[in-house]
Amino acid sequence: MQAESTAASAVAPINDGMVRSLDPAHGQIELLGSRCATCGEVSLGTNAVCLNCGGDNIESIALGSEGTLWTFTVVRHRPPGNYLGPDPFEPFGVGLVELPSGLRVMTPLDGDISTFRIGDKVRLAPWLLREGEDRRWLAFRFTAAGGSAA
Amino acid sequence: MNDSDIVILGAGIHPFGRFDASAQDLGAHAARAALADAGLAWSDIEAAYLSRMYLPATSGARILRRLGGTDIPIVDVEAACASGGAALRQAVLAIRSQDVETVLVLGVEKMPRGFMDPSMIYSPWQIRMGMSMNPAYWSMRAMRHMHDYGTTQSQIARVAWKNHRNSVHNPNAMYRKEFSMEEILASPLVCDPIRRLEICAPNDGAAALVVTTGRRARQLGGNPVTIAACIHTIARYSADFRCPADSMSATIENTGPTALTARKAYETAAIGPDDIDCFEVQDTDAFCEIEIYEEIGLCGLGQGGPLVEAGHTDIGGRYPVNMSGGLISKGEPVGASHLGQVVELVGQLRGQAGARQVADARTAMAHVLGAGGNCAVTILRH
Ligand SMILES: [Zn+2]
Repeated sequence: MQAESTAASAVAPINDGMVRSLDPAHGQIELLGSRCATCGEVSLGTNAVCLNCGGDNIESIALGSEGTLWTFTVVRHRPPGNYLGPDPFEPFGVGLVELPSGLRVMTPLDGDISTFRIGDKVRLAPWLLREGEDRRWLAFRFTAAGGSAA
Repeated sequence: MNDSDIVILGAGIHPFGRFDASAQDLGAHAARAALADAGLAWSDIEAAYLSRMYLPATSGARILRRLGGTDIPIVDVEAACASGGAALRQAVLAIRSQDVETVLVLGVEKMPRGFMDPSMIYSPWQIRMGMSMNPAYWSMRAMRHMHDYGTTQSQIARVAWKNHRNSVHNPNAMYRKEFSMEEILASPLVCDPIRRLEICAPNDGAAALVVTTGRRARQLGGNPVTIAACIHTIARYSADFRCPADSMSATIENTGPTALTARKAYETAAIGPDDIDCFEVQDTDAFCEIEIYEEIGLCGLGQGGPLVEAGHTDIGGRYPVNMSGGLISKGEPVGASHLGQVVELVGQLRGQAGARQVADARTAMAHVLGAGGNCAVTILRH
């Protein structure tokens, strides 16, 4: 791990405490969250304080990798700023995915933009992004898992 | 009007659009117009608030020094799209405290073309992953509403059709062109289901109000409009998933910011939606206006699409909305947006709105909503 973190091509989580590799090749990942022991609310990422009640008795949890598409859209123009997706730009899906842990997460969607439907079963997938010559990020997105909850 | 009321005595605007003029020029123009409308001089103003999001520090002082030397407190206020409501509320509170009696509230913005700079509201990781597209968040709300209530693309387009049509009569709007339903529905998708002709653009503009007491207005004469309520809130936990939200609770659903703010405003003004004659609301996108109809109580949940389709929110309808052409036609110079709505409504209540006048308008509501769930509602009475 020491060697990997100092290498030029080391892959860093897109946001600290939000996503973690489950294998060295980053083939499988986990989305991290925080559960408040006081009110039970779950939040995205590793948070010291509950965003609902302000309590600080927080437990780190994995948010789960299977979810349902609660709503979505298709982004048809290149997002402004430092977007690291395909260049030249390709329209892509963005969704709000409901996870069994009680959280809905905003996420890019991988797959054919004409096929997304509310209620679709979706699965967490790694998304490796390159920034310039030597920065690599481990990001996440969701992809069709087949089937619908509707 | 009672002596203890807080009133708008003067209202002024610089048209919304894209101009070579500086922010100082735009702001000074609107401020002078508001002072002239009130029949007051700059030296009569005891405090001033500038509503702005993009302009740099101390912009209020820099703009207002154009009107002449002063030592009054001038404070810049920012609350995203609700900045104007937040600034107007500061004026109301300052006057109510009896520290000052006559206050200038100015909103000014000068913005680059295209999508807003994402680093102002998004985290770097959201931007890297492509989650920095504001219309994506609005569109996801529309998709869910269509799924839950059967709202149609045609009903969403009907909002844009109405607002573009109203704008033809508004010399302060950026786009003053009528479009057919076919043209709107054939315009390119920005984020499904929201299209180019259904979305507002950032631009330049300024609007200003002179606010004082009923007592002083009675002494001065003129044509005052009473501020019956001016409320600003931010969205409660999990009440809203507008940008830059990265997630929301699947188990807690709190009252949304528009419904919450409108409820507080109705309570303060001691009236309800049926007592209001005309509305200016945040049509950042055409769908958003449908959702607002429901949240401010013009119709039940899921009934916003049928409401606009039946023409009830047209000028001449039961609840006229966005007589000015809305943000879709005017553009959204963020800091000037809410105060621009109020300038429009002051004109409506005074019967000075020309071809877009709502007959016998006595009470009016302005509503804005934006990043961070910032929401403001102002109710006016004449
Ligand atoms: Zn909690």
